[in-house]
Amino acid sequence: MWCRVLAIRVRFADGTAKELNVNGISIRELFKILNLLLEEYIVVVKSHVVTEDYIVKDGDELVLYPVVSGG
Amino acid sequence: MVNCSICGRPAVYIMKAGGKAYCEHHFLRYFDKKVRKTIRKYQMFREKEHIVIAVSGGKDSLALLHYLNKLSKRVPGWRISALLIDEGIQGYRDRTIKDFLRIVDELSIEYRIVSFKEEIGYTLDEIVKIGMDKGLPYLPCSYCGVFRRYLLNKAAREMGGSVLATAHNLDDIIQTYLLNIIQNNWDKIPKLAPASKGPFHPKFVRRVKPFYEILEKETTLYAILNNLYPEFIECPYAIHSVRWSIRRYINELEEKHPGTKYSLIRSLLNIIEILDKLGYGKDGVIGTCSICGEPSSNNVCRACMFKRELGILT
Repeated sequence: MWCRVLAIRVRFADGTAKELNVNGISIRELFKILNLLLEEYIVVVKSHVVTEDYIVKDGDELVLYPVVSGG
Repeated sequence: MVNCSICGRPAVYIMKAGGKAYCEHHFLRYFDKKVRKTIRKYQMFREKEHIVIAVSGGKDSLALLHYLNKLSKRVPGWRISALLIDEGIQGYRDRTIKDFLRIVDELSIEYRIVSFKEEIGYTLDEIVKIGMDKGLPYLPCSYCGVFRRYLLNKAAREMGGSVLATAHNLDDIIQTYLLNIIQNNWDKIPKLAPASKGPFHPKFVRRVKPFYEILEKETTLYAILNNLYPEFIECPYAIHSVRWSIRRYINELEEKHPGTKYSLIRSLLNIIEILDKLGYGKDGVIGTCSICGEPSSNNVCRACMFKRELGILT
């Protein structure tokens, strides 16, 4: 079975970003890889809020908005 | 893809504890219904009110300001004002003030900014340094919390406010609840009630928390969907806080066992009832500080006690 490796970019609200090569996985699985809690972020792709079952696509830029307060 | 339980459009929010999902439109309806229910349930506002909203410039307080401003259009007897306390934290508060000013300007809301420097005589940065030089055992958040609460009440009263609304959400409340249990501060737990209870000191402005039963994830989503989410910036002092560890722990629990947060808030409401019966601390303090004349449950209020220890009491 052939699996294409996808390149995605995860951008955090503090301005930092990570480039990742992943198979077509869901945000739920991506968060496990990144050791993040779904409770603590809202994910936006192409200006749309998406839920944890969203399957990341090649070239996607995911913006992660922290739910936790900064102060 | 998960779809809205009501209309079938793509969901933006999954409410795991209730087994439902909502699209943007139905999430905003769900949010509105939930906040209105909280306001009614705890009798937070009367027909005629001057509501002063404590705003920091962060996402939750901007969401509260936006929400109550919108709601006030349907209640003719309500007047809305915003109050921001500028603690004087370099590189932090000066930046969140910009987001605050953007929103009050967009919504045409009257506001007041009160600074530690003008009212206390020193910025929080200066206070923290004085405290460290004197070897005082307090964390920056202790000074900040005490002086902020002191100034919020004083300024809200000076603005003619009949009630002070803060943006504490369900997550904030249960974190403080656990923090108080860990620190054995049972007298502080009744202060975590959704609305302060009387009898009130004549100088005390009643406080309410309209987001009391709203999850932080929901207030954040409301802020994003209404284009209110500010530049993300962390308070430089927050790293000292035990609250961060408690928050992570509760979020891990919620992820494994959805509904944990709602259980904790129910537990808190029960404990408050029990503590009330036992006569533990009340929020509507009826004593008067012998130094500054502000409401206090002790002979000298915490703000004046800190000032005295810091050597800045004038």
